[in-house]
Amino acid sequence: MKLTAIRPVGIVLVRELSLTMLLLLGVSALVFLILYLSPGDPFSVLLEGQSLSEEARSGIRQAMGIERSWYGQYFHWVSGMVRGDFGASVRTGLPVLSEVLRTGINTLILTLGSLLVTLLIAAPIAIRSAMRGMSKATWSFTILSYVISALPVFWLGYIVIYFFTHKLGLFPLAFGFATGAKKWLYLLLPIFVLGIGNGTISEVIRTLREEMGRVMEEDYIRTARAKGASVWKHAFKEGFLIPVTEIIAAKIPFILGGAVIVEQVFNWPGMGRMAWQAAQDRDYPVIMGIAIVAAVLVRLGSLFQSVVYVMVNPRASKE
Amino acid sequence: MMAEPLLAIEDLRTYFYSRSKRAFIRSVDGVSLAVAKGETLGIVGESGSGKSITAMSVMGLVSAGPGVISGRIGFRSDRVERQLLEGLDTCVALRREGGRVMAVEKDDDRWAGQVEKNMTGIRGREISMIFQNPKQSLNPFETVGRQITEAIMLHTSHKIEQEAKEKAIEWLDRVKIDSPRLRFDNHPFGLSGGMCQRAMIAMALSCEPHLLIADEPTTGLDATIQSKIVDLLAELKSELGITTMLISHDIGIIGRLSDTVAVMYGGTVVESGPAKDVLSCSPEGKHPYTAALLASIPSSDAVREKGHLQAIEGDVLDTINIPAGCRFYGRCSRVTDKIREKCDKQEPDLREIASGRRVRCWLYFE
Repeated sequence: MKLTAIRPVGIVLVRELSLTMLLLLGVSALVFLILYLSPGDPFSVLLEGQSLSEEARSGIRQAMGIERSWYGQYFHWVSGMVRGDFGASVRTGLPVLSEVLRTGINTLILTLGSLLVTLLIAAPIAIRSAMRGMSKATWSFTILSYVISALPVFWLGYIVIYFFTHKLGLFPLAFGFATGAKKWLYLLLPIFVLGIGNGTISEVIRTLREEMGRVMEEDYIRTARAKGASVWKHAFKEGFLIPVTEIIAAKIPFILGGAVIVEQVFNWPGMGRMAWQAAQDRDYPVIMGIAIVAAVLVRLGSLFQSVVYVMVNPRASKE
Repeated sequence: MMAEPLLAIEDLRTYFYSRSKRAFIRSVDGVSLAVAKGETLGIVGESGSGKSITAMSVMGLVSAGPGVISGRIGFRSDRVERQLLEGLDTCVALRREGGRVMAVEKDDDRWAGQVEKNMTGIRGREISMIFQNPKQSLNPFETVGRQITEAIMLHTSHKIEQEAKEKAIEWLDRVKIDSPRLRFDNHPFGLSGGMCQRAMIAMALSCEPHLLIADEPTTGLDATIQSKIVDLLAELKSELGITTMLISHDIGIIGRLSDTVAVMYGGTVVESGPAKDVLSCSPEGKHPYTAALLASIPSSDAVREKGHLQAIEGDVLDTINIPAGCRFYGRCSRVTDKIREKCDKQEPDLREIASGRRVRCWLYFE
C-alpha cells in the first residue's frame, strides 16, 4: 500500500478516536447521573433483610470510599478510568475491567456472529433481486424473511431451545455441558436466534436492494456490461461494500440490545447478562464499565465504516 | 454491393410496456440496417427517434424491466457468427384481451440469462461501445488505467497484468492523452470530460473489436472539446479502418465521419444512403424529414435573412399512438393532393429509388 493511501486512513483514525474520547466522557457522565438519580443503592441490595444501625451503614460506606458527594464520586471514578482502573464490583469484589472484557468477548462473538447470519441470509436475496429483477423465488424469500424478522427474539429463543435441544437433542443444554467439538455447537443456537430475530433482516434486505438497484442504473455499470466485464465486480464497492459497512455500523447498538435478551434466554456468559445482573444489584462500577465498553463497541463499528469508506472511495481520501 | 455486412439488423422492434398507460411505447419500430465491413454508418435523428435504443438493443443493454425486443440482429465477423436476439422471445408472454395487450409477463431472470448467453464473447471483444457523458460512464472507484487494463486482459491475448498495463498506456497515448503514464493512475473525477471520453475510446478500441458503436460520443462536452473528439475519431478511423456505427443528432459530426447515413424518425429509418447524397443540400430525392432536418441547421446566412432559427414544424412523434399512415404526415410540408390519402392511411415502405438510396416516402413511388 502506498503512503498516499495510508495517510487519509490515518486522518480518519485520529479524528474518530478523539471523537470517541469525548463521547466516552459524555456517556459515562450521563450513565452516572442516571444511576445517581435512580432509587436504591448497592448496599440496600447487599444488606437486604438485615437491620443495621445507621453507624454501621455509614461505616461500610466510608470503608468503601463512597462517602463523597456525587460529583466527588464521579471524578474519583473518571480519574480511575483514565488510569485504566474501573474499580471493583460491589457484589463480587472482582476488578470490573477484566470481568467486563472477559464477558465482552463472548458478547462480541455473539454480536458479530449474528450480524454475519443476518447478512448471509439478507445479502443473497437483496443482491439477486437487485441484479436480476424480482422472481417468484426472491419474492417468497423476501416475504418469509419479513415475517421471520417480526418474530420477537425471546419467543424465538424459547421455541428454538424447545425443538432443537429438548425434542431433537441436537445441541447441548448449556455451554460446557458437552465436551469437545460439541461444546462449541452450543454457540450456534444463540447466534442464529439473534441473527434471525434481531429484526434487522428485512431492513438489511431493503437497504441493500435499494442501494444495489440504484447502482445498477448507473452509467458506469452499463459500460461494464458493454465491455463484457463482471457487473458484480464493478458494482461491488458502491452497491455492496459501502452499504454493508453502513448497516453494520448502524445496527450494532440494536444487536447489542438484542444480545441482552438472548444471553438471558440462552444462559450465555456475556456482557448483556452481566449488565442485567448488575442493574438488579445496583452494582454501579460494573454498570459504568459495561456502558463504556458498549460505547466503545458502537464507536468501533462507525470507525470501521469510516475507514472502509475512505479506503474505497478515492474522492473521500482526497478531501 | 454490400456483400456481407458485419452487422445486419432486420425489423428490430424495441418496445417498452407502460403499465399505467396500458400500451407500448414503441421506441424502435421496425428498423432494418446493415453495417458493411470497414464503413462508418451514421444514424441521425431527433431526440426520441430511437437511435440510442437501437444501439442498446444491439449490445443487449435494454435491461429495463418492461423492455421487449423482437426482430433479428445478425453479427458476422471472421471470428464469430451469431444471432444476438436468439431465444429472447421465449422469455416474454403477452396477455391479450380483445386484441389489446393487457399485460406483459417477462421472465426477467431468464431474459437476463439469455442476453448474457447471446452476448458472451461479443461485448467488448467483437463490439465495443462508447457513450455520452463519459465522466459518468467510467467507474468512479477505479483508476482509468485499471479499467482499460481490465478490458485488455479480458479480451486480448495479453493476460499478464504488466503487459496489459503497457498496452493500456500505449492506447492512452494513441488517443492523445498527454503524459499517459501519469494519467493511468488517475480516477475519472480527476480528468476532464474530454479526457474521460478519450479514455473511453482507448478502452473501447484496446480490445481491437470489429465494430465500434459510438452513441452520441460528443454530447455533453464543450464545443471545443467536441471538435477535438471528432478529429480524434476521424484520425482513428483512417488509421485503423474500424467499422463504426455512429449515432448523433449532430448532422455536422455525422457528415464528417460517415460513409453511409441512415435518418431515423419516430422509431424507423426514413431514409438511408451514401452520406454525400443524403446530406447534400438539394432536397431532390430526399425524404421531407431529412430535408427539414438539413434546413434546420443554423447558418449565418439563413439567420440574417429570416431573423430566426429554422425549426421543424410540429412536435416529435408520440411513440404510443403511432398513426396508421406515414409517421411524418402530420408535420410534412411536401404532401401533394395526389398522395395525400395514401400518406394519411398507409405507411410507405423503405424503397430503393436510386443505387444505394432508400427512402420511405410516397412522393418518390410510382
